[in-house]
Amino acid sequence: MSSLLPLVRNETMKVWKKKRFFVVILVLLVLIPVFTYAQMKIALNNRDKFDDWRLQLQQKITDYQNQLSSERIPEEWKQYRRIAVQQLQYYLDHDVNPDSPNAVTFSRGFVEAAITMFIPLLVLAVASDLVSGERSTGTIKMLLTRPVRRWKILLSKLIALTLYVSLTLLATVVLSYLIAGIFFGYGGWTLPVFTGFVIHGSDVDSSAVHAVPQWFYLFMVTGLSWLSAMTIACLALMVSVLVRSTAASIVTMMAAIIAGSILTNMASSWHTAKYIFSVNLDLTNYLAGSPPPIEGMSLLFSVCVLAVWAVAAIIVSFSVFTKQDMLN
Amino acid sequence: MNRGNALWRLIGITALLTTIVFICGFGFAMNDILNPRQAPSLSDIDTTDHAYVKDDVIHITALGDSLTKGTGDSTGEGYVKQTIKLMEGKYDKPVQLLNNLAINGMRADQLVQKLKSDKGYRLAVSEADIVLLTIGGNDLFRFARGGNAADEQDSNTAVESDAKDNAQPESRAEEQISLEEVKMNMDKGADLLRRTLELLNDLNPDARIVYVGLYNPFYDIPELRDGSLQVQDWNRSAYDVIHQHPNMMLVPTSDLFEENISRYISSDHFHPNHEGYAAIAQRIVQAID
Repeated sequence: MSSLLPLVRNETMKVWKKKRFFVVILVLLVLIPVFTYAQMKIALNNRDKFDDWRLQLQQKITDYQNQLSSERIPEEWKQYRRIAVQQLQYYLDHDVNPDSPNAVTFSRGFVEAAITMFIPLLVLAVASDLVSGERSTGTIKMLLTRPVRRWKILLSKLIALTLYVSLTLLATVVLSYLIAGIFFGYGGWTLPVFTGFVIHGSDVDSSAVHAVPQWFYLFMVTGLSWLSAMTIACLALMVSVLVRSTAASIVTMMAAIIAGSILTNMASSWHTAKYIFSVNLDLTNYLAGSPPPIEGMSLLFSVCVLAVWAVAAIIVSFSVFTKQDMLN
Repeated sequence: MNRGNALWRLIGITALLTTIVFICGFGFAMNDILNPRQAPSLSDIDTTDHAYVKDDVIHITALGDSLTKGTGDSTGEGYVKQTIKLMEGKYDKPVQLLNNLAINGMRADQLVQKLKSDKGYRLAVSEADIVLLTIGGNDLFRFARGGNAADEQDSNTAVESDAKDNAQPESRAEEQISLEEVKMNMDKGADLLRRTLELLNDLNPDARIVYVGLYNPFYDIPELRDGSLQVQDWNRSAYDVIHQHPNMMLVPTSDLFEENISRYISSDHFHPNHEGYAAIAQRIVQAID
């Protein structure tokens, strides 16, 4: 155990010196203002049209109800709408604005929206060349000729990766809070958010609904995102062990993630798709009480699927890394 | 080396702490979803201040069925937006639509329910200076189309399934509309209309309430021309209530859709088209002083 810490330190500092994390920060610094600006445009537009958020919310409910009456809209969409109508009505009945513009709401929304694509992408920036990068530069020889067991080397890489996943999420939350605060103000920590909607078919059971302060909700949202991001990190590590070139490893992972998000939108009739990891990434959905992309999915199910994929990826990485002839 | 050490400590400790926080967050989230009742709850909800509307603007709330929604108008304006445009020209004052809460296929009983219990509806009405309202068409013609099944479902799905009936009114109308049934449901509908108007009056006694009267969309079909009698009966019973309240008015439309029916009716042969709505809007603006 004592020999592991220096290894972790070595790996962590290597990633730091490769400036991968700076790329992550830079991407966030560019994109968050863009989203903030878009969000502000929406808020301004709403303020023009509606003096009172209640009227705006009621209009939204009415619009959804009118969509329900349209013949053109597919049944699955209607299901979403029906559920959304009941949830929005709950907010309206309890006099709580579900999208009051402030920095905490923005951060929460940003993490919720980023969990399926954007955060995995940022994780890949760090994870994809952990092993394959060392192969293409040849430094892996130096690493493996040291008198350290191979599994310890990979474990140290995995730990360093975990640290960077956490840092990436932290940076996402902190930067979106700081940047959005400039436009919306830094308040909103104690605003109530409802959670605990239970969905049966197209009906929402609100008997278990309770309000939590928004900071606590954000805390839970980031916790769930962290698990999604860690699954991606483990898989990316595996691909990085298996594939020699960094580019190939990024493309492989991106393809899997994008395929998942496409499937989420269209595969509600293909039930086995729910065992694919990338369909299960959107864990925050369960917190908000949105219907799952495929029937039969629940939080526990998704967490188990992600865990199985992550554990399998770790097993494959370790068995390949310790046995494979790495030096060629 | 020393600097590297400090940096490593900073990164390592921050990342470790963050990791622990995230794992806790994940645990709380799991707990919250899996055992929703045990989660910490917020007893006192801080609500944002009530934003009262400004006075120098005329506020309009529109309620009712597909006519208020503007179904059939290819520009999407309906009579509500055209009324607002005309009013802006007439009064030289900003006119703002607070809400158009019309839902396709809405019936008077559903509207009564909404006005009784739905906070959003009540708020929109209570903050309005003018309430524009169409209701009753679906009560009269729905019963005629023989659909009572929707009654047992909850209001959302009832609105929806009823609107499905609306989708092909022209084909169904000719088969199924029987004037006896229209007649039969007249009393029930008129009573609901009375309750609707009284509820509106209770919610906002200061608002001007404009009820747009019914017309017979089947005037040009000889067998159904007598439907106009029922329509007029309906409008008459609406007026019974309306004339008791000085702040309410009935804007008749049935004459517009007699000789000009081909010009004013949309292709579904039930709703007005853009010009039909324009004619209604003109009527409304003429009637409001």
